[in-house]
Amino acid sequence: MLRIVRLLIACALLVPFTSCSQNISRKADVVIWHWMTDRQAAFEKIAAQYEKETKVSVLFETYAPSEVYRDKVRAAATGKLLPEIFSTLGDKREVSSFINAGYIADLSADMQTGWKSHLFDKPLSQNTFPEGNEWKVKPGIYGVPIDVSAIMIYYNKDLFKQAGLDPKNPPQTWEAFLEAGRKLRAAGIQPFASGFSEGWLIGVFANSYAWNMLGEQGILDTIKGTIKYTDLRWLKVYQVFADMAKHDMFASGIATMVNKDAERTFATGKAAMALNGSWGVNVYFSMNPNLNYGVMMPPKMSLGEYPMRIFGGEGSSLNVNATSPNKDKAIAFLKWMTAKEQQIQLAQETKNIPSNQEAAGGLSDILKIFAQNIKNTFESLPVSESWQVNNVINTDMQAIIIGEKTIDQAAAEIQAEKMRQSGAK
Amino acid sequence: MNKAAKEKTINLLFILPAVALFSIFSLYPIIRTVQLSFYKWDGIATTMQFVGLLQYKDIIFHNPAFWKSMANAAYVTTLALTFQNGLALLLALLVSREIRGENIYRTIFFLPPVLSGIVVGLIWKWIYDGNYGILNHFLTGVGLSHFTNFAWLAEIKTSLTAVAVVHMWKGFGYGFIILLAGLQTIPKELYEAAKVDGADSWQQFKHITVPSMIPVFTVVAILTILGSMQIFDLIYSMTQGGPAGHTHVPITRIYQFMGNGEFGYSTAMSVIFGCLLLAVSFIQIEVSRRMNK
Repeated sequence: MLRIVRLLIACALLVPFTSCSQNISRKADVVIWHWMTDRQAAFEKIAAQYEKETKVSVLFETYAPSEVYRDKVRAAATGKLLPEIFSTLGDKREVSSFINAGYIADLSADMQTGWKSHLFDKPLSQNTFPEGNEWKVKPGIYGVPIDVSAIMIYYNKDLFKQAGLDPKNPPQTWEAFLEAGRKLRAAGIQPFASGFSEGWLIGVFANSYAWNMLGEQGILDTIKGTIKYTDLRWLKVYQVFADMAKHDMFASGIATMVNKDAERTFATGKAAMALNGSWGVNVYFSMNPNLNYGVMMPPKMSLGEYPMRIFGGEGSSLNVNATSPNKDKAIAFLKWMTAKEQQIQLAQETKNIPSNQEAAGGLSDILKIFAQNIKNTFESLPVSESWQVNNVINTDMQAIIIGEKTIDQAAAEIQAEKMRQSGAK
Repeated sequence: MNKAAKEKTINLLFILPAVALFSIFSLYPIIRTVQLSFYKWDGIATTMQFVGLLQYKDIIFHNPAFWKSMANAAYVTTLALTFQNGLALLLALLVSREIRGENIYRTIFFLPPVLSGIVVGLIWKWIYDGNYGILNHFLTGVGLSHFTNFAWLAEIKTSLTAVAVVHMWKGFGYGFIILLAGLQTIPKELYEAAKVDGADSWQQFKHITVPSMIPVFTVVAILTILGSMQIFDLIYSMTQGGPAGHTHVPITRIYQFMGNGEFGYSTAMSVIFGCLLLAVSFIQIEVSRRMNK
């Protein structure tokens, strides 16, 4: 009798171990991990609708903040516990690691069946690996954009008016931008806020001016090492931050300000301008529904030879788990989710730009400006700069903002890191 | 099986769960960390590239940012060892004098350590905030108008110290509890005898309290060093290493490299950091042993 009891206890203890690896992705036919918790309700609605129509159960699980989400996906990949649909939230180098390790399905064949033609080209190109890419990924389309985004400068029309600026004509040139900053400061208003503590956002701003000063070929040549980061055109890029610091344009604490704080600063009228993505429309609405604002392109520099570009294209792109037994169900769901009706519904509920071009008609005036500027977003490049070099750029731009370094010191440091990384390769 | 052997087997069985848990959750990760540090691996790829000691060489000779972060952690640790532990000792001495409401003080002083580091960091971030913070509100209220919009966490001169202050506020309760427990183990007869011999309070403190407390001071110092050098959650929630890397500490650097797919490199950093902490702890123990002799 005692033996039987022991055996039963042992079996009971083993049950969790035998079932956990199987059940984690079997909570529904299609499990999706996303990082934007503010969209949970809209996602659940879409999932319920799909189940009603097809009898295929879909479960959205959202995890924030995005760094935590990214770590979770990495850990799940290593433990072979990825859900049917997820996003790596990384750059192409990181996505390529997932693809080369066999975790992300190639969607090229499905895309050829007419799916591709409904979607915006730019975000699709960001999910495409071309022939001869530096990461040695088999050419193809590996992700599906479910919405589109762009990063521009929001400005508070009421504060502009208060400072004697014309809210209908925001500054178009760099000089006018600095002058607007001066007038705002004189009126006791902090001119500019952004989440510059988050490296990527300060990098986005610097990159806009890199495209303006160097163009695509110049950026490619810098990555390849034929143009140095100490080049005069790069110095002009760093000068952007020095000029803004000199004109006292930055909001208090911008160097350690995360974007959520910057959004709050702008939404509560503590700063007149904010560099932020199109998702900000939803964020500002939730923080201050009466906020009276417009959006503008970052103003071009007078010496800039190339068109001004902004960060954007894909908003959230999703990848399909290549190893999932429900891979086909996952692809079918994504096709349905990116169809016109669902995209209109999602765009309205989440105040975002849909990835389906046919669904972009009914957007608000502000989102229309963002959608029109998707064509001005950075081109997808076949090579990328090492993260260490980007990190030094971001850190040194912070150093320029706080007056710790000159642009020449920053340039020398960035180039030194570039050389170090080139040597390491 | 004879009786002694049976007893030995039963004893071993009793410690088996602890050994198993230690092996799975401590020993294996340590071994694996050391092993990974010799490889270049992005955390995703199915293959790893053996690079030997190359990553160690790069960290030691070509990564000044890592050593700068070490210096930042050492600065926080120095402040914690002096001010945090000084305050903890002072409060422990006061509370050990059988004052009224002793337990209330104990509870109050031990509250900050039990709070979540991230929550504490976010609250203090608000206190320090240049746009909304109550610290600036208070300072301008008492006439220090140049503190309007002063960003404590974004200024080079104040950022690391501002984080260290929060770290000390959060950590002094641990030292307080340990020091208080230590003070209460010193026999009262020693103080009574000293009083009879005419020793004043300072002499009693110097010749009875301090020598009796050396083992306790050692424990508190080691815990402070380990806790301060490994500070992470406060930095992560308050500054993310900024401005311009001025509040980066080794753990945030390790996390940064790991987050960017440099698993091998970050584990090499962890091994170096772990060895340094071990060395500091051993030195500390050795010094206190000699002082005790």
